[in-house]
Amino acid sequence: MNKYNISALKYNRNYRLSVKVFSTLAVATSLCFPLSLHAEDQSYQSLRDWIDNSRPDAELSPGQHLTIKDRGSKLEALIPHTAWKYYFFDDMDMEITATRDYPAPDHWGKNMAPDYKLDEDATLVGFTGGGFPFPEIKADDSVAGQKVIWNMLWRPGTNDFEMPMVTWLRSESGKLDRIMEYSNTTATYARGDHSLVPGYEEVKSKRVMEFRSPRDMAGAKDMSITYVDHRRENSGWLYMPAQRKPRRTLASERTGELMGMDMIREDNNGFGGKVYENTWEYLGKRKILATINVKTNPEFGGASQWVPHKARWEVRDAHVVLIKPKSDDHPYSARVVFVDAETYWTHWMFAFDKKDDQLFRMNQHFLKYSEDYDKEPPAQAPFIKQDYSKNKGHSVFLHLGQTDINAKKPHATMTHCFTNKKEFTAARAKQFYSLRNMISGRR
Amino acid sequence: MFIYRKRFAKIIILLSGALVSSLSWSIVNIGEDVELEGFVKAYNIMKNGASAFHDGELTHQRNTAQLEGKYYFLRDGQMFNRFSSGPIDEATFTFLGRAVYDSAYDIRDSYGSLHDRGKEEYKVREAFVDIMMAPFSLRLGKQQVVWGETDNFRALDVINPLDRTWHGTRESWEDIRIPLWMARGIWDIGKIASFDETFLEIILIPDDFQANKVATMYPRPWAFRGIGLQDEAANSVLIDNTLHDLNVTVIDGAPDERKLSNMQGGFRFKGIWNEIDFSINYFYGFSQTTGVKVRSAGLDDDTGIFNTVVETVNPRINVFGVTASFSEDRYTQSVFRLESTITSGVPVSIAPGAPERANPNDNSFDTARQSVVMIGVDRPTWIPALNSLRTFFISTQFFWRRYLDYNNYYRGSFYDVRPAVVNGSAVPDRFVSVNEDKIDQDEFVITFSASTTYGAAGLWKPLFVFAYDPRSTGAYNKIKMEYLYSKHLVFSAEQHVYWRVNGDDQGPWGLGSYLGESGIRRNETIFTATYQF
Repeated sequence: MNKYNISALKYNRNYRLSVKVFSTLAVATSLCFPLSLHAEDQSYQSLRDWIDNSRPDAELSPGQHLTIKDRGSKLEALIPHTAWKYYFFDDMDMEITATRDYPAPDHWGKNMAPDYKLDEDATLVGFTGGGFPFPEIKADDSVAGQKVIWNMLWRPGTNDFEMPMVTWLRSESGKLDRIMEYSNTTATYARGDHSLVPGYEEVKSKRVMEFRSPRDMAGAKDMSITYVDHRRENSGWLYMPAQRKPRRTLASERTGELMGMDMIREDNNGFGGKVYENTWEYLGKRKILATINVKTNPEFGGASQWVPHKARWEVRDAHVVLIKPKSDDHPYSARVVFVDAETYWTHWMFAFDKKDDQLFRMNQHFLKYSEDYDKEPPAQAPFIKQDYSKNKGHSVFLHLGQTDINAKKPHATMTHCFTNKKEFTAARAKQFYSLRNMISGRR
Repeated sequence: MFIYRKRFAKIIILLSGALVSSLSWSIVNIGEDVELEGFVKAYNIMKNGASAFHDGELTHQRNTAQLEGKYYFLRDGQMFNRFSSGPIDEATFTFLGRAVYDSAYDIRDSYGSLHDRGKEEYKVREAFVDIMMAPFSLRLGKQQVVWGETDNFRALDVINPLDRTWHGTRESWEDIRIPLWMARGIWDIGKIASFDETFLEIILIPDDFQANKVATMYPRPWAFRGIGLQDEAANSVLIDNTLHDLNVTVIDGAPDERKLSNMQGGFRFKGIWNEIDFSINYFYGFSQTTGVKVRSAGLDDDTGIFNTVVETVNPRINVFGVTASFSEDRYTQSVFRLESTITSGVPVSIAPGAPERANPNDNSFDTARQSVVMIGVDRPTWIPALNSLRTFFISTQFFWRRYLDYNNYYRGSFYDVRPAVVNGSAVPDRFVSVNEDKIDQDEFVITFSASTTYGAAGLWKPLFVFAYDPRSTGAYNKIKMEYLYSKHLVFSAEQHVYWRVNGDDQGPWGLGSYLGESGIRRNETIFTATYQF
């Protein structure tokens, strides 16, 4: 991986040369940039311009704290232009850390079933997990965008955790509209050459989510099953305590906002839809700032308290993928995702309104590497104590939260996750992720 | 007993107050193993008579405190965080207590005649232990069990009776089902042949039979008084144009709950076959609808009184049913639901004067076999002109009930109390009752509901409900708006309207064909404020 480890490169000649080249380019392009990249411009085109033209030319040092004063010189080239409006604010504080490697689990890629392929519309067929389906992404590959997303969908650490969460829904000026507490528990079934539960080889993963508060939602429970066969629609059930029985849900509806939150199901992890329902374009690699390995769940700042504040950021190489829905009824004209080139976790997602090509929704994710949990454990959930000692040794990222902004409302949903690795036995998984479990809810 | 009830209510209310005052989050944790939640709700119902917002009267001011708790006393094979529990993985204890005080009883003088009946309620509604021991799980205690795919009509959802005394069936059924002491065991089978996600559920109700509760005492706002006069009871019989006093003796023939032979139980096998969720259900119990057998009826020549001895009965029922649901994502983007049952033992009345073949036991009572077919469709639907951010959840049902061994003398439960008329003149203070509620062999009802959320955080939640009986042309509409003001405070306003298109058939569903009748009309405006924690 071509890392942006600035401290390591500091005295490297090539780096100095790059800085000169970048500086020259920056001066040249700055003549036309001010007109096209106004901070308030959140159009699709302005993001494309930023991706195509803006390149980091400044030196960042580990331990350095970037503030609003560093905006023009350092930050604008590393924070996607569409996010400037929210992420740059007067007392902003971004701690920079060195770019580093995050090794995948030892077994990763060693137990994969070999017979898989992309079909005519780049849908992955026959893949059963255990590694990245496409470890190498080539920029000139006509299906590079899809391959990035397949790697993202099958990345290590996607599942197998118990994740209590707290979500804040805020209007502009930081007005708090609602707080929700819930838990998400997931398990990967498809593990390359075997399934977690023998006999369930068609299942990719299962997830159970249960709301804890507020009371009007407490006990609502949702179970979903995704399948190895991407063309097979997910299955879903919803248990509402008031009804005292689970109800089948329509998993293919992915474009309506959920529970008042500023996200749709398809925004999950940047892209949670069906590959074949979209057209794809690989836009190359970009260096970006990402909260890939934060110390703890970040506090929120900015005028509306929508974005991470005093968090630890790292310069990362990211694949940039443009996704355009084929359906005329889809609310988005385009979606641009920035997926980490080493770990395949999504850092940033921007979706644009079909009506005017302006920003509709965006999300940005906070992660933590499991191997750092012993020396730097993150915060505990406010309502349950987690034993984080189980996390070390898995060599995966754990999701610590995200911010989802709806620019059109405008409104935002900020989430803290308190993730703990959880490995189910086959028998326990069979019972926990079952219709039987759905019929016995909180009440 | 009353003192204990008061104490229970005080405990709930004080506990609620103490807990909510120290809350930082909506749910309350006591240690790591106990969670408490609940609400205090003020529920005000204004009955609008002839038209909405006219002739209004306050009928309910129902103040409810509910406390719900869960104690996780066994987790990950450890009991009380100390002892190994062997094969038991998890166990919890759940309870739900409710205290109700309806202050309308202290506001309205006219409720004085009720002698506080319906004014207060203090109950531990649910209390059960869940034990998980893969692949088995067991729930023991006072609980609700809901089967079937139908919403708000009864086919397979007949295990718990309903308390219809205070607001008919217009409340969330979670709140009006009468929890029963029972054991519910589930064997999680999983994959078997071409079936997936299968389990076998067995329920056993050893000795806790209760019938549906219906208020009959005037002026309880939702007293079931049939049609005709609502504030009078029949006290006379007219024979050959001569008026006789009516004396009715009622014998309670409900099943003796102490007898083991009165056990109820059933099973359900549920699974998925070819993407279709299905279940096969059987329940052996008692009819929760009470029937009436006429033991004797006749004129006492000495006194001139017409004596009737009737026995209330809840016959044994056998309910066999199947359900299915299927998510069709490609063409209709809808979830289809199906439920079908056959029930034997449904009590019916036989019209007076029926021939012997229709009334073979000469007691004006029979049991019938009844079938139900329900087809429902759920669909999250985009209506961008009305909501550009979120879908509408639209749910429709077509419910068809049929008497399989029907005869023309079957009568329903709508008695018409009228002034006694002799020689063309009404006799003061004398009333007779007539049952002209002929049951139709086929009964239908169609329901439609739509809901969505508005506001940046989805805090405004409108709901529209429509139910229509195509035979009686009776209809019901509900429009509700709920506002989640904060994590603790929820307000709602709703309007219920009963109406009919034409005709005078009462229909079986309690829609506008009955509740829209002049003098009975139950159009209501409801305001609710809830403090939840």
